[in-house]
Amino acid sequence: MARYLIVDSRDLTEYSGARFIQRAAGQLQSAGNEVTLFLIENGVIAARKGSDMGADLTALVQGGVRVVVDDVSCSARGIFQFADGVTSSNIDHLADLIVEGSDKVLWY
Amino acid sequence: MDGGSAAASEIKEYNVSTMTMPVSPISTVAAAPARVRKVAIVLATGSYQREAPTTVLRLVEKLLQRGVDVNVWAFEEAVTLTNRDQIDHNEPGSLQKLLGEKHPNVGRFIDQLVRAGLHGAKLDWVSCILCVQERGVEKHQMGGAIIGTLGDLWKFVKSADRVIGIPTYR
Repeated sequence: MARYLIVDSRDLTEYSGARFIQRAAGQLQSAGNEVTLFLIENGVIAARKGSDMGADLTALVQGGVRVVVDDVSCSARGIFQFADGVTSSNIDHLADLIVEGSDKVLWY
Repeated sequence: MDGGSAAASEIKEYNVSTMTMPVSPISTVAAAPARVRKVAIVLATGSYQREAPTTVLRLVEKLLQRGVDVNVWAFEEAVTLTNRDQIDHNEPGSLQKLLGEKHPNVGRFIDQLVRAGLHGAKLDWVSCILCVQERGVEKHQMGGAIIGTLGDLWKFVKSADRVIGIPTYR
Protein backbone atom coordinates (compact mmCIF):
# COMPACT_ATOMS: atom_id res chain seq x y z
CA MET A 1 0.00 0.00 0.00
CA ALA A 2 1.21 3.48 -0.82
CA ARG A 3 -0.01 6.84 0.32
CA TYR A 4 -0.96 9.12 -2.54
CA LEU A 5 -1.42 12.85 -2.23
CA ILE A 6 -3.27 14.35 -5.18
CA VAL A 7 -3.35 18.13 -5.20
CA ASP A 8 -5.88 19.66 -7.53
CA SER A 9 -5.52 23.36 -8.28
CA ARG A 10 -7.85 23.53 -11.28
CA ASP A 11 -11.57 24.06 -11.36
CA LEU A 12 -12.89 20.53 -11.77
CA THR A 13 -15.90 21.87 -13.61
CA GLU A 14 -13.78 23.76 -16.14
CA TYR A 15 -11.23 21.12 -17.16
CA SER A 16 -12.41 17.81 -18.54
CA GLY A 17 -9.21 16.20 -17.35
CA ALA A 18 -10.55 16.65 -13.86
CA ARG A 19 -12.68 13.57 -14.38
CA PHE A 20 -9.51 11.55 -14.71
CA ILE A 21 -8.21 13.00 -11.46
CA GLN A 22 -11.30 11.85 -9.65
CA ARG A 23 -11.17 8.49 -11.38
CA ALA A 24 -7.50 8.07 -10.54
CA ALA A 25 -8.17 8.92 -6.90
CA GLY A 26 -11.00 6.42 -6.69
CA GLN A 27 -9.14 3.64 -8.43
CA LEU A 28 -5.97 4.12 -6.42
CA GLN A 29 -8.09 3.86 -3.30
CA SER A 30 -9.87 0.77 -4.62
CA ALA A 31 -6.49 -0.82 -5.29
CA GLY A 32 -5.72 -0.64 -1.61
CA ASN A 33 -3.81 2.59 -1.43
CA GLU A 34 -4.39 5.51 0.92
CA VAL A 35 -5.46 8.57 -1.08
CA THR A 36 -5.85 12.19 -0.09
CA LEU A 37 -7.34 14.60 -2.60
CA PHE A 38 -6.31 18.09 -1.57
CA LEU A 39 -8.26 20.85 -3.34
CA ILE A 40 -6.60 24.24 -3.58
CA GLU A 41 -6.95 27.43 -5.64
CA ASN A 42 -9.81 26.94 -8.14
CA GLY A 43 -9.93 23.28 -7.21
CA VAL A 44 -12.06 24.15 -4.18
CA ILE A 45 -14.94 25.34 -6.37
CA ALA A 46 -16.03 21.75 -6.93
CA ALA A 47 -16.46 21.25 -3.20
CA ARG A 48 -19.24 23.79 -2.88
CA LYS A 49 -22.22 22.25 -1.12
CA GLY A 50 -25.07 21.41 -3.48
CA SER A 51 -23.01 21.23 -6.65
CA ASP A 52 -23.01 18.20 -8.95
CA MET A 53 -19.26 17.90 -8.67
CA GLY A 54 -19.61 18.09 -4.91
CA ALA A 55 -21.77 14.98 -5.04
CA ASP A 56 -19.00 13.23 -6.94
CA LEU A 57 -16.53 14.23 -4.25
CA THR A 58 -18.89 12.87 -1.61
CA ALA A 59 -18.95 9.57 -3.47
CA LEU A 60 -15.16 9.54 -3.42
CA VAL A 61 -15.21 10.11 0.32
CA GLN A 62 -17.66 7.25 0.76
CA GLY A 63 -15.21 5.09 -1.17
CA GLY A 64 -12.49 5.88 1.30
CA VAL A 65 -10.70 8.82 -0.32
CA ARG A 66 -9.97 11.68 2.02
CA VAL A 67 -11.05 14.95 0.35
CA VAL A 68 -9.95 18.21 1.93
CA VAL A 69 -9.99 21.85 0.87
CA ASP A 70 -7.58 24.72 1.48
CA ASP A 71 -9.18 27.25 3.80
CA VAL A 72 -7.59 30.33 2.22
CA SER A 73 -8.72 29.30 -1.25
CA CYS A 74 -12.25 28.74 0.04
CA SER A 75 -12.54 32.02 1.90
CA ALA A 76 -11.15 33.90 -1.12
CA ARG A 77 -14.05 32.47 -3.14
CA GLY A 78 -16.73 32.78 -0.49
CA ILE A 79 -17.09 29.03 -0.08
CA PHE A 80 -17.90 28.13 3.50
CA GLN A 81 -20.20 25.13 3.10
CA PHE A 82 -18.82 21.96 1.62
CA ALA A 83 -20.20 18.81 0.08
CA ASP A 84 -20.82 16.03 2.57
CA GLY A 85 -17.62 14.36 3.68
CA VAL A 86 -15.35 17.14 2.42
CA THR A 87 -13.44 18.79 5.25
CA SER A 88 -11.57 22.05 5.63
CA SER A 89 -7.80 22.02 5.79
CA ASN A 90 -4.93 24.45 5.36
CA ILE A 91 -1.46 24.91 3.91
CA ASP A 92 0.14 23.59 7.12
CA HIS A 93 -1.69 20.32 6.63
CA LEU A 94 -0.55 20.19 3.02
CA ALA A 95 3.07 20.65 4.11
CA ASP A 96 2.65 17.89 6.71
CA LEU A 97 1.21 15.57 4.10
CA ILE A 98 4.15 16.19 1.79
CA VAL A 99 6.75 15.80 4.50
CA GLU A 100 5.36 12.85 6.44
CA GLY A 101 1.99 11.81 5.13
CA SER A 102 2.52 10.64 1.58
CA ASP A 103 4.74 8.54 -0.63
CA LYS A 104 3.78 10.12 -3.93
CA VAL A 105 2.63 13.65 -4.73
CA LEU A 106 0.67 14.44 -7.87
CA TRP A 107 -0.15 18.08 -8.62
CA TYR A 108 -2.86 18.81 -11.15
CA MET B 1 14.54 -4.16 -50.28
CA ASP B 2 15.19 -7.13 -48.03
CA GLY B 3 17.12 -5.08 -45.57
CA GLY B 4 14.26 -2.67 -45.29
CA SER B 5 11.78 -5.45 -44.80
CA ALA B 6 13.90 -7.03 -42.12
CA ALA B 7 14.18 -3.74 -40.32
CA ALA B 8 10.50 -3.21 -40.59
CA SER B 9 9.77 -6.62 -39.14
CA GLU B 10 11.83 -5.76 -36.11
CA ILE B 11 9.68 -2.77 -35.32
CA LYS B 12 7.30 -3.76 -32.59
CA GLU B 13 3.71 -2.88 -32.99
CA TYR B 14 2.32 -1.30 -29.90
CA ASN B 15 -1.30 -1.43 -29.03
CA VAL B 16 -1.91 1.29 -26.49
CA SER B 17 -4.96 -0.43 -25.08
CA THR B 18 -2.95 -3.54 -24.17
CA MET B 19 0.27 -1.89 -23.09
CA THR B 20 1.36 -2.49 -19.56
CA MET B 21 2.34 0.70 -17.83
CA PRO B 22 5.55 0.57 -15.84
CA VAL B 23 4.84 0.15 -12.19
CA SER B 24 6.43 2.77 -10.03
CA PRO B 25 8.50 1.51 -7.12
CA ILE B 26 6.27 3.74 -5.04
CA SER B 27 3.63 1.01 -5.04
CA THR B 28 5.86 -1.11 -2.87
CA VAL B 29 6.85 1.60 -0.42
CA ALA B 30 6.78 0.50 3.17
CA ALA B 31 4.13 1.91 5.46
CA ALA B 32 6.51 4.21 7.33
CA PRO B 33 9.04 5.75 4.91
CA ALA B 34 11.75 8.12 6.01
CA ARG B 35 10.77 11.71 6.63
CA VAL B 36 11.17 14.02 3.66
CA ARG B 37 14.26 16.24 3.90
CA LYS B 38 14.41 17.84 0.48
CA VAL B 39 11.70 18.90 -1.95
CA ALA B 40 12.11 20.05 -5.53
CA ILE B 41 9.41 22.22 -7.04
CA VAL B 42 9.19 22.86 -10.77
CA LEU B 43 7.29 26.04 -11.59
CA ALA B 44 6.46 27.60 -14.95
CA THR B 45 3.80 30.17 -14.01
CA GLY B 46 4.80 33.81 -14.03
CA SER B 47 3.73 36.98 -12.29
CA TYR B 48 0.08 37.94 -12.56
CA GLN B 49 -0.87 34.85 -14.56
CA ARG B 50 -2.38 32.49 -12.05
CA GLU B 51 -2.41 31.71 -8.38
CA ALA B 52 0.29 29.07 -8.54
CA PRO B 53 3.27 31.27 -7.54
CA THR B 54 1.40 32.44 -4.44
CA THR B 55 0.54 28.87 -3.53
CA VAL B 56 4.15 27.80 -4.03
CA LEU B 57 5.37 30.57 -1.76
CA ARG B 58 2.82 29.65 0.91
CA LEU B 59 3.94 26.04 0.70
CA VAL B 60 7.67 26.79 0.61
CA GLU B 61 7.38 28.85 3.79
CA LYS B 62 5.74 25.93 5.59
CA LEU B 63 8.26 23.42 4.29
CA LEU B 64 11.16 25.59 5.43
CA GLN B 65 9.55 25.89 8.85
CA ARG B 66 9.59 22.10 9.01
CA GLY B 67 13.31 21.97 8.30
CA VAL B 68 12.88 20.83 4.71
CA ASP B 69 15.31 22.15 2.11
CA VAL B 70 13.53 23.37 -0.99
CA ASN B 71 14.85 23.77 -4.52
CA VAL B 72 12.64 25.69 -6.89
CA TRP B 73 13.32 25.38 -10.60
CA ALA B 74 11.63 28.32 -12.32
CA PHE B 75 11.30 28.22 -16.07
CA GLU B 76 9.21 29.71 -18.86
CA GLU B 77 7.25 32.70 -17.47
CA ALA B 78 8.16 31.84 -13.88
CA VAL B 79 11.55 33.48 -14.42
CA THR B 80 9.77 36.83 -14.32
CA LEU B 81 8.88 36.25 -10.67
CA THR B 82 12.44 37.18 -9.71
CA ASN B 83 12.69 40.21 -11.95
CA ARG B 84 14.14 42.76 -9.55
CA ASP B 85 12.75 45.66 -11.56
CA GLN B 86 9.13 44.96 -10.77
CA ILE B 87 7.51 48.07 -9.39
CA ASP B 88 5.07 48.20 -6.50
CA HIS B 89 2.09 50.11 -7.85
CA ASN B 90 -0.43 51.96 -5.73
CA GLU B 91 -3.61 50.15 -4.84
CA PRO B 92 -6.81 52.02 -5.73
CA GLY B 93 -7.45 54.74 -3.19
CA SER B 94 -10.78 53.31 -2.10
CA LEU B 95 -9.15 49.95 -1.33
CA GLN B 96 -5.99 51.12 0.40
CA LYS B 97 -7.54 50.78 3.85
CA LEU B 98 -8.18 47.15 3.05
CA LEU B 99 -5.18 46.20 0.92
CA GLY B 100 -2.54 48.66 1.97
CA GLU B 101 -1.02 51.51 0.00
CA LYS B 102 1.09 49.48 -2.41
CA HIS B 103 0.55 46.28 -4.35
CA PRO B 104 3.67 44.26 -3.48
CA ASN B 105 5.37 42.20 -6.19
CA VAL B 106 5.96 38.52 -5.64
CA GLY B 107 9.74 38.82 -5.98
CA ARG B 108 9.87 40.54 -2.63
CA PHE B 109 8.42 37.46 -0.93
CA ILE B 110 10.81 35.15 -2.73
CA ASP B 111 13.67 37.29 -1.50
CA GLN B 112 12.41 37.01 2.07
CA LEU B 113 12.18 33.24 1.88
CA VAL B 114 15.66 32.92 0.39
CA ARG B 115 17.02 35.08 3.18
CA ALA B 116 15.18 32.99 5.77
CA GLY B 117 17.37 30.10 4.68
CA LEU B 118 20.43 31.77 6.14
CA HIS B 119 19.53 30.40 9.55
CA GLY B 120 17.56 27.27 8.86
CA ALA B 121 16.36 25.09 6.07
CA LYS B 122 17.54 26.43 2.75
CA LEU B 123 15.69 27.64 -0.30
CA ASP B 124 17.48 27.73 -3.64
CA TRP B 125 15.58 29.54 -6.38
CA VAL B 126 17.00 28.82 -9.81
CA SER B 127 15.84 30.52 -13.00
CA CYS B 128 16.35 28.74 -16.31
CA ILE B 129 19.09 30.44 -18.32
CA LEU B 130 17.36 29.94 -21.67
CA CYS B 131 14.10 31.34 -20.34
CA VAL B 132 15.64 34.46 -18.79
CA GLN B 133 17.53 35.17 -21.99
CA GLU B 134 14.46 34.69 -24.17
CA ARG B 135 12.47 37.09 -21.99
CA GLY B 136 15.20 39.68 -21.61
CA VAL B 137 15.37 39.39 -17.84
CA GLU B 138 18.81 37.80 -17.49
CA LYS B 139 20.35 41.06 -16.27
CA HIS B 140 17.37 41.83 -14.09
CA GLN B 141 17.28 38.82 -11.76
CA MET B 142 17.20 39.72 -8.11
CA GLY B 143 20.16 38.91 -5.90
CA GLY B 144 18.86 35.72 -4.36
CA ALA B 145 17.96 34.07 -7.62
CA ILE B 146 20.50 31.84 -9.34
CA ILE B 147 20.56 31.46 -13.09
CA GLY B 148 20.97 27.80 -13.88
CA THR B 149 20.75 25.12 -16.51
CA LEU B 150 18.78 21.96 -17.07
CA GLY B 151 21.69 20.21 -15.39
CA ASP B 152 20.68 21.92 -12.16
CA LEU B 153 17.12 20.74 -12.63
CA TRP B 154 18.36 17.20 -13.11
CA LYS B 155 20.40 17.37 -9.91
CA PHE B 156 17.44 18.83 -8.04
CA VAL B 157 15.26 15.96 -9.18
CA LYS B 158 17.92 13.36 -8.43
CA SER B 159 18.54 14.62 -4.91
CA ALA B 160 14.96 15.35 -3.87
CA ASP B 161 12.82 13.12 -1.70
CA ARG B 162 9.77 14.62 -3.39
CA VAL B 163 9.45 16.33 -6.75
CA ILE B 164 6.39 18.51 -7.26
CA GLY B 165 5.66 19.67 -10.79
CA ILE B 166 3.25 22.59 -10.82
CA PRO B 167 1.36 22.40 -14.11
CA THR B 168 0.86 25.44 -16.26
CA TYR B 169 -2.50 25.68 -17.94
CA ARG B 170 -4.58 28.24 -19.72
